Amino acid sequence: MEDIHIKGVHEAYFMPTVNFEVATGNCEISGESYLEETTKFYAPLLAWIREYTASVKGPLNFDIKLSYFNTSSSKCLVDILDLLKNYQKAGGLVTVNWYYEDSDEELEEVEDFILETGLQINKIPMD
Amino acid sequence: MEKTGGKYDFSLYEFHNLLHQNILVSYKGPIDERVMTVIGENIEILTNDGNDRTKSKIFKIFMELAQNVWLYSAESCKTMSGKQLGMGTLVIGEFGDYYTFVTGNMVKNTDVEPVIEKCEIINSLDRDSLREYRREQRRLANQGKKNSGNIGLIQVALTAESPLDIELTPVSEEESFFSLAVKIKKKTVKE
Repeated sequence: MEDIHIKGVHEAYFMPTVNFEVATGNCEISGESYLEETTKFYAPLLAWIREYTASVKGPLNFDIKLSYFNTSSSKCLVDILDLLKNYQKAGGLVTVNWYYEDSDEELEEVEDFILETGLQINKIPMD
Repeated sequence: MEKTGGKYDFSLYEFHNLLHQNILVSYKGPIDERVMTVIGENIEILTNDGNDRTKSKIFKIFMELAQNVWLYSAESCKTMSGKQLGMGTLVIGEFGDYYTFVTGNMVKNTDVEPVIEKCEIINSLDRDSLREYRREQRRLANQGKKNSGNIGLIQVALTAESPLDIELTPVSEEESFFSLAVKIKKKTVKE
């Protein structure tokens, strides 16, 4: 299986930067997420996690640093977190760091992702 | 509006003045990603009294509500490439210590009840219940049991920290004009 590297774009739509590495299990989603076809963009990312957790079975370290994401992106983020939770339940090693800007609303949103998925997420303030 | 001598029989100056009071941006017409981009950038430029937090709040609210008009307005047009664009009105206003964002669009009378109901539920909930409602609705949407248009409205109420001010004006047997306004306080930093 191969790494995923997507360079973020901020045009009419906002594509996040994505770096998923097979060798290390280090995964990053950063920037902004507002896409024309949200599920189409996230499908390969979900497929990558499925394949990694089924065949490589190494640790997964997720860094999520999104300064903006719309509600349809948030649904896909929940899908990612669900996969990570399932992997963890099956004995996989999972760390999720969620970087937030200084606002109560964002912090609430991360807390809601935790409640929604049952996954432990480290909340880290962005500089 | 009657046409008289090639000009519309209304004063553009009066129209301008009417819009000028407290209005930072107003747009009426089809909505697509280009319109969204331009107005999104205008929010950044024109909401100078707001801190960065307020700006990002207005932007977030604008993105969800304008998207709803684009996708769900009963009045629409087709681009050359066959893309369907919803039409409506978007207004960003500034009053004393708050900004408002208002959208207006035509809705079919047969479709409007669930939307009104949804807004009333949202307005009846306190913040914690609203967060729980968002989690619940997102879960249902992810399981493919509900469409996601609802989550946008919940998100808007949570971001604005104010109720959804809705108004429905009957236009004909089939259609009404639906407007939705939210207030965003200028200073939302911790005191």
